[in-house]
Amino acid sequence: MSLDQTSLDGPEIPEYMRVRPIEISTATMVQWLKPEPVGEAERSWVEQLEPGDYEIYDEKLKNILDEAREIFVRSGVTNLLTAGDLIVAIYTANGDLANASAGTYLHCVTGCLPVKYVMHKYYSDPTVRVEAGDIFYTNEARYGGIHNPDQMAFMPVFHEGELIAWTAALAHQPETGAIEPGGMPILARSRSDEGMKLTPIKIGQDYRIKRDLLDMMVNFIDRSPRMQEIDTRARVTGADRLRVRVQELAVAKGNDFVRGLLRKLVLEAEESARRRIARWNDGTYRAVAFADTIGREPALVRGMLTATKRHDSIHMDFSGTSPENDSSYNAFPHIVAAHAAIFLFAYPFHDLPASNGTLAPFEWDIPEGSVLNAAPNAAISNSPPLCCIVMTSVTLALSKMMFDSEDRDKIGAPNGNMGSEIIFSGTSQHEMPYADLDGCTLNTEGQGARPDMDGVNAYGFPWAHAGRAPDAEFYEDEYPFLRLFYHLRRDSGGFGKWQGGLGTETAIAPRHVPTMFWSSIGKSTHISVASGLFGGYPSSASPGIWVSGTDLWEKMNRGDQDLPEDAVSVAADRALQGEYLLEHLTRLTRIGYSGDLIVQLAAGGGGYGDVLERDPDLVLNDLKNGQISSWTAKEVYQIRYEEDSLILDETATEETRDSARQTRLKRGKPWDEFISEWSKLSPNPEALKYFGTWPEGVAETPVVRI
Amino acid sequence: MKRSITESLVANTESLEWECRRCQHTLGPVAENYKKGCLIAQRDPKEIWEPLIEGVLNFSYDATWSRIVEFYCPGCGALLEVEMLPPGHPLTHDIELDLTMFTDENSADRSSKDSAQ
Ligand SMILES: [Zn+2]
Repeated sequence: MSLDQTSLDGPEIPEYMRVRPIEISTATMVQWLKPEPVGEAERSWVEQLEPGDYEIYDEKLKNILDEAREIFVRSGVTNLLTAGDLIVAIYTANGDLANASAGTYLHCVTGCLPVKYVMHKYYSDPTVRVEAGDIFYTNEARYGGIHNPDQMAFMPVFHEGELIAWTAALAHQPETGAIEPGGMPILARSRSDEGMKLTPIKIGQDYRIKRDLLDMMVNFIDRSPRMQEIDTRARVTGADRLRVRVQELAVAKGNDFVRGLLRKLVLEAEESARRRIARWNDGTYRAVAFADTIGREPALVRGMLTATKRHDSIHMDFSGTSPENDSSYNAFPHIVAAHAAIFLFAYPFHDLPASNGTLAPFEWDIPEGSVLNAAPNAAISNSPPLCCIVMTSVTLALSKMMFDSEDRDKIGAPNGNMGSEIIFSGTSQHEMPYADLDGCTLNTEGQGARPDMDGVNAYGFPWAHAGRAPDAEFYEDEYPFLRLFYHLRRDSGGFGKWQGGLGTETAIAPRHVPTMFWSSIGKSTHISVASGLFGGYPSSASPGIWVSGTDLWEKMNRGDQDLPEDAVSVAADRALQGEYLLEHLTRLTRIGYSGDLIVQLAAGGGGYGDVLERDPDLVLNDLKNGQISSWTAKEVYQIRYEEDSLILDETATEETRDSARQTRLKRGKPWDEFISEWSKLSPNPEALKYFGTWPEGVAETPVVRI
Repeated sequence: MKRSITESLVANTESLEWECRRCQHTLGPVAENYKKGCLIAQRDPKEIWEPLIEGVLNFSYDATWSRIVEFYCPGCGALLEVEMLPPGHPLTHDIELDLTMFTDENSADRSSKDSAQ
């Protein structure tokens, strides 16, 4: 569907400010990810840069970006700022991303598109126009965003009457005025259920935010009005600090210098990415990844990637991916590219500018009607949790492509990729309305293991690697609950020669108030999305646990010593009275009463290589540190040791491992024999409700959205 | 010449055969899926993750949703690759190399390509 066919680019727009026209639709916005063609004037500005200019001022821009990011984080209140789910970015006058401080690399893709849209649609429109001091704002996936919790402020940079650049600041905010609290409504069935969605609009002029438009936004975000007011200002503050610094650069060096520098960053990024891709083996690399939820119910969702690499370009074909559905677990192609960028900018291209030039070698082929290219009226607020299937399949396919090259150090097994969080809302002990999420599990998933080392435990937030977990006790001050425990989760990292980093686990109990609304997001309950690589195992299973009607406060008041200290002991020892529910980690909004225990798990990273090749001393270390159980040490890693002293029995370990290899040879069957038995199997019918035909995954019924 | 294509697999660019890195056992032509040369087993996830409580959700995975498929070297029993798949799901042909690079390479020096960055 085309949302807008008009194009107002006229001859009055100088070439360097032009955006090539595309059809504006959810299926085609990804085309603007390609850098704009370079005209004569721009080429000459690039060529006028003196030797050393690029190197010095590339560094200067990075410093400017880091400064703006710091100001942004300190100005806002959403926890996602601390978590790093943000970006501050500098663009060319026609919306190509020159560099960014991220935060999340998602918006290296999505930040460009609204800027290009404004230049394409509004620059020449006399009712809008783009002028010095303007402040634009958007959070709409149809116009290039990911999902509406991601709100973005962007500003044109003018000097001596000329438009020379754009700046932006974007951060996720966990409330959108949708049918459920938290900004990512699990029950949304169409876009109409998802709350405030602002197309790119001008919310300020003369460097001031317009009060009427700010009031409009605050009115939309009724569950958390204070956050909307403060964080809108924070975004504008971040974008404006960048604007000031770029203007200062223009004063010092001239407009042509700034425009030439920004374009050179985009060009260099593309050339460097192509040179690197050219040294990987040509071929076709396939990967499959599974999610086990569409939010409101468990369901198998498949992501399938065929990445074909020829010389210096890569064709990314997602044919075979599950059909779209009527939940909020859908996406659009530019959202898919954004999730590929999470791997690309952090691993193979970690040292290149965070520019859309870096992604220019990639072509995107994402079939319409699939869950990754849904209809424009689809609910997409949970596109990031869905796109774990993109993160995992891209990591697997590219790692296999890159292993036999000098870039072997830039690969790894998939990270936890689960996006585990408890979402809560209500009225706090301070009698303030609140709606927020627990960044503790969200930001502490395990990193995938790598060719020469274990994954980092609780490494961060797979959607924004640099994310940090907030202070666990911050929440107890701000929100009405007690945190019973929060620590690394044993056996959660994928086993292998190199082990995936561990995820964490936490338990919270509503306190100070009679009730608290809560829900949770997560996956890898029935099938892991953090696959292993080259023989490594995936991360462990993550169930959700809820104990209602407990005697927690009575036990604490008595000073009982048997309070549960981890998720397993909650479920296994049942020291708390109450009703126990083990369920999928994605849980619909419900009422939690004072003393209820909500247990949430974060995933470990995928493992790397054959478990029998893991150094037995490393296995023993993990055992001593409590990172793995004795069962895992013996049954999976097949080591033998003295039980009391934990001293390795080398001979017995060698014998046990040899015999484990013999067991494999007895267990394994040749291809034809295996396939003839295996292909007769099919999963639990409950899993296939939204899968389409088995095993092709072709849609059986059209999706109806009201 | 031998090229390490994965942690556990080698492509012999002269014989154009896959080989196990651990024991050099051949796994069939590089033009084919190396998995066809492996011994394959499907395992209940409970063999990899110990169930810690009673019930379907027991900190291991439910075998009606997912299985672990393991690909072994028939020569030495090395675990070359693992897939976690729903029962019966087609196996992934994950690596299909463009073989022209081997024929080119047999005559040309690869270092010219490597020095570009
Ligand atoms: Zn072998």
